[in-house]
Amino acid sequence: MTPSKPIIQRIALVFFTFLVFSIANVNAQDGKALFMSKCATCHAGDMKSNSTGPALGGVRERWNDEGKLHEWIKDNVALTKSGYPMAVEISKFSTTTMDLFPSMPDADITAILDYVDLKFNEVPKVAEGGGGGTGGGNDGQNAVIFGVISLILALIAFILMYVNSNLKKLSDDTEGIERPEPSPFYRNKVYIAIFAVLMFVVGGFFVTKGMIGLNRQQGYEPEQPIFYSHKVHAGINQISCLYCHGNAWESKTAAIPSVNVCMNCHKTIQSYEKGPELFDKNGNKVNGTAEIAKLYEYAGFDPKNPDAWDPSKAKPIEWVKIHNMPDHVYFNHSQHVRVGNVQCQTCHGEINEMDVVKQVSELSMGWCVNCHRETKVNFNYTDSTGNQYYSIYEKFHNDIKSGKMDSVTVKDIGGLECQKCHY
Amino acid sequence: MKKLFVITFCTLAVAITIVSCGGSDKPGRSYMPDMSYSVAYETYAPSDERLKASGATYNHQPVKGSIARGDAFPYTIPKSDSGYARAAFVKNPLNIDSINLKEAERLYLINCGICHGAKLDGDGPLYKGGEGPFTAKPIPLVNDEKANNMTDGTMFYSVTYGKGQMGSYASQLNTKQRWEVVAYIKSKQAKKVAPAAATGAPAADTTAAK
Repeated sequence: MTPSKPIIQRIALVFFTFLVFSIANVNAQDGKALFMSKCATCHAGDMKSNSTGPALGGVRERWNDEGKLHEWIKDNVALTKSGYPMAVEISKFSTTTMDLFPSMPDADITAILDYVDLKFNEVPKVAEGGGGGTGGGNDGQNAVIFGVISLILALIAFILMYVNSNLKKLSDDTEGIERPEPSPFYRNKVYIAIFAVLMFVVGGFFVTKGMIGLNRQQGYEPEQPIFYSHKVHAGINQISCLYCHGNAWESKTAAIPSVNVCMNCHKTIQSYEKGPELFDKNGNKVNGTAEIAKLYEYAGFDPKNPDAWDPSKAKPIEWVKIHNMPDHVYFNHSQHVRVGNVQCQTCHGEINEMDVVKQVSELSMGWCVNCHRETKVNFNYTDSTGNQYYSIYEKFHNDIKSGKMDSVTVKDIGGLECQKCHY
Repeated sequence: MKKLFVITFCTLAVAITIVSCGGSDKPGRSYMPDMSYSVAYETYAPSDERLKASGATYNHQPVKGSIARGDAFPYTIPKSDSGYARAAFVKNPLNIDSINLKEAERLYLINCGICHGAKLDGDGPLYKGGEGPFTAKPIPLVNDEKANNMTDGTMFYSVTYGKGQMGSYASQLNTKQRWEVVAYIKSKQAKKVAPAAATGAPAADTTAAK
């Protein structure tokens, strides 16, 4: 039974190490939970940036005396009053004083400080690269392949035609038939006729298309003063469209947010780290943190001194307007978004997946009219979710009841009246 | 002669096509621009030199003291430490029974839920338990002693002027809407007060025991 002894010892050792590690782990976990519940509202969770309170990374090294640090955490006001220099200095960080934690046990404070050290020294995870920019390359490759194939086919057709005419000439020669010298192809009336008709069709198509396209901007994708990604904001971070464009609910235009709305979040979010890599429409990589710095320039915000920010000094950002209606068309957002319950994406496309916003819809009259022909109106005037504005249309109601109509389209309630849009 | 005609026609067609396309960087051309572009200044339309010189921009504040139609009486407590203390005694001027909580919920979900969470638990998509981009932890609005004890007036003050890492929401929500949101949060707290007391006690015990 002697060989079993070392095995037991080893197992015991492994078990012991495991136990030690798990205890350490539990401590760190505790520290995290405590940090989240007591500190995280004011101290940034990455331990590196200043928030309402200063960044906590390396706080132990700065304080030297851990006992005094514990005193500060328990009752910072008393420590400042006692004149301890470090405490006096930190109390000047902000006008907001830190909460008091007089009954917090020392073990908890140690656990929190351990977690702070752990988090501060953690190597940041590198964001996984997005697959952006490859789609365009694929399309280009396909076009090249198609071009080469059609060129080869055209070449083969040309060679075959040449061979055919030579063979014919040869057979004519052997049979002794005299034919007049064929006229060159550019004098051949059939060729000229075919060419003219073809040019007329192709040219006419493009001319008509160009004329229809006048004053329409489908695909318009201008460069904006700041690379603002709707994908990151509305897609990944799930910010409601109406958070920034709240006026779409109550007015003709969907508001372009003023700088203070951006700063609601970007006062705290000072760098772009956790999202996917960003690419502009030419496939160039975009540095998100540098774009946030551009916002700070407009806002007059100094990330090192957030408390001193004065929103009234901010300069407006000159965004380029993409969706333009001609002057002779009246379009009202609230009428569609609030009354008609139309989703933003119906007209603007999948904005929440666009890094660079592009006009997806035609915004032409035919496009508008088509939607008005098809969209069913939600009357539902007995309950509050319905559209009570049109509740006077008793006739439709009765017609539907008696089976004369099965539904009411926008057209039926005046959606095709010229004056709805042109006046 | 015919050939010449065809060639001119083709070049013309190509020229028009190129001119009208314009590429994705430019808005393209318009036929009869005086019918397309407004003579009067349009909201958010590009501003010309004259407008720029006058200093008018899309995010101008309304004239001081103006009250929008349908809005509540303006809030007069200034942004200051004493203002914060005074704000605690301000009561909600709206008739609680007349508030449409469904509308208040909509406003909450759009403007507040992003950080404070759709369930008011302080864990919205921007924070995601510390995994999201927002580094400061938003306070939970239910099951939290601090939020439960906060008066309507203090809450309104914080929504109006911002507090800590939270910005001012006065430009996104008008006075009436802000009171509605406060009423919504308070109505949710009232519903959860009983479970809050139950879960709060053992948590305090465990920290005391250590």
